[in-house]
Amino acid sequence: MNWQLMWDSLPRMLGGLSLTLQLIVGSLALGAVVAFAVALLRLSGNRVAEWLSAAYVFVFRGTPLLVQIFLIYYGLGQFTLIRDSFLWPFLREPYWCAILALTLNTGAYTSEVLRGAILSVPLGQVEAARACGMSRPLAFRRIVLPVAIRQMLPAYGNEVILMVKATSLASTITLMEVTGIARRMIAQTFAVFELFIVAGAIYLVLNFIASRLIKFAEWRLTPYLRARA
Amino acid sequence: MNRHPPVSDTATAAVVVEDLHKRFGELEVLKGVSLTAREGDVITLIGSSGSGKSTLLRCINMLEIPDDGRIVIGGEAIALKKKRGNTVPADARQVERLRTRLGMVFQSFNLWTHMTILQNVIEAPVHVLGVPKAEAVDRARMLLDKVGILAKADAYPVQLSGGQQQRAAIARALAMQPKVMLFDEPTSALDPELVGEVLRVIRQLADEGSTMILVTHEMGFAREVASKVVFLHQGRIEEEGSPDKVLTDPDSDRVRQFLSRHLSGAA
Repeated sequence: MNWQLMWDSLPRMLGGLSLTLQLIVGSLALGAVVAFAVALLRLSGNRVAEWLSAAYVFVFRGTPLLVQIFLIYYGLGQFTLIRDSFLWPFLREPYWCAILALTLNTGAYTSEVLRGAILSVPLGQVEAARACGMSRPLAFRRIVLPVAIRQMLPAYGNEVILMVKATSLASTITLMEVTGIARRMIAQTFAVFELFIVAGAIYLVLNFIASRLIKFAEWRLTPYLRARA
Repeated sequence: MNRHPPVSDTATAAVVVEDLHKRFGELEVLKGVSLTAREGDVITLIGSSGSGKSTLLRCINMLEIPDDGRIVIGGEAIALKKKRGNTVPADARQVERLRTRLGMVFQSFNLWTHMTILQNVIEAPVHVLGVPKAEAVDRARMLLDKVGILAKADAYPVQLSGGQQQRAAIARALAMQPKVMLFDEPTSALDPELVGEVLRVIRQLADEGSTMILVTHEMGFAREVASKVVFLHQGRIEEEGSPDKVLTDPDSDRVRQFLSRHLSGAA
């Protein structure tokens, strides 16, 4: 075990941290928007919307993220229609392809988490809101969504942790985030064990922070659960 | 109160229900029920479970949509229409507006668990009626004081006993300054020793002249506060009248049997 090499690799490896963080934050933020829209469509009562959103979830949960990344990065470019479209400046960039794949993937999972949370809001609380004269959208915004978001946090924390790790797949389409840099350094030094340990440790620290943040959000948003004790 | 000259009973009564029908699938729960609550009336709906009394109450504020019949709130009939064989409100806005005049208290309280008691009470006045927050808070504190739980204003529902939660729910309904209060078995989910504190609050409202429609199993209480008792049996009104008449000397054998089962334990 070459401790010196591990220590020396750290600054270079952390050079990829910014890109890793961009992938995490970007895809989680966009994924949340997608998840919200898909969950609402899924619960809309409109058959076409329900079917479309269910199909989206089925496809993106049911296929490997790596395959999705390859399809978007290598696959889409073979269609002239896409190469000629306004999307091409984005879709030819590995950066945006990775963001897109990660977004669609987390959007599918998160929409299901959110849908379940919305359905678990006690009917009585919704009735109480409606009985006060709240419109459907107002009752959704003031009662259903706040309760649902609190309800979904533990499961969403899981999803965040999975996403932190999933960004490492972006290295397969030439992105030099933490794993990408580790692979390049290994190609130069053959110190497979040492350098992947360093990379793994960086993800471990990121996930430690992520899980603390989620815990903190849970703590802040659910004073009524603390109050019970 | 400054009122328009009465046109008919329907125009002036607080709540009028005419020939209400409601079915859940094959089961017809209400088979043509009519009911009038004038201002200041305290009407208690009694009957065995499954008689339709809760459904009737829930139809009044459209938590259940009746299949047929008419509901008139403060002289305004709720517009219904047929849509693919189902009856639905013709105008959701109208239903929402009329609901603000009807305070609903549920058997299981249904307080919003993520809000403090004070937040529960100001929520609808602020976000539905547009009352300024400071004003809503003042009024909420006054109401919480009235129902005896001002000290719990900043607590969350889970921290309260059932009786306190129900009193908070009553304060929440009163905060909308409703014309009519609807109570759906308000004490049925409570431990026996907590029933009294909730009934005291409801009795106080009755004494103040509030118009109320109350589904209850508390026969003794019904007799004390009601101006009219309505006995429902299998979706029809079996007997109605003054509490003294219906609860002591009913014409119907069914009511007699029901009372012999329920009055024995009443306070």
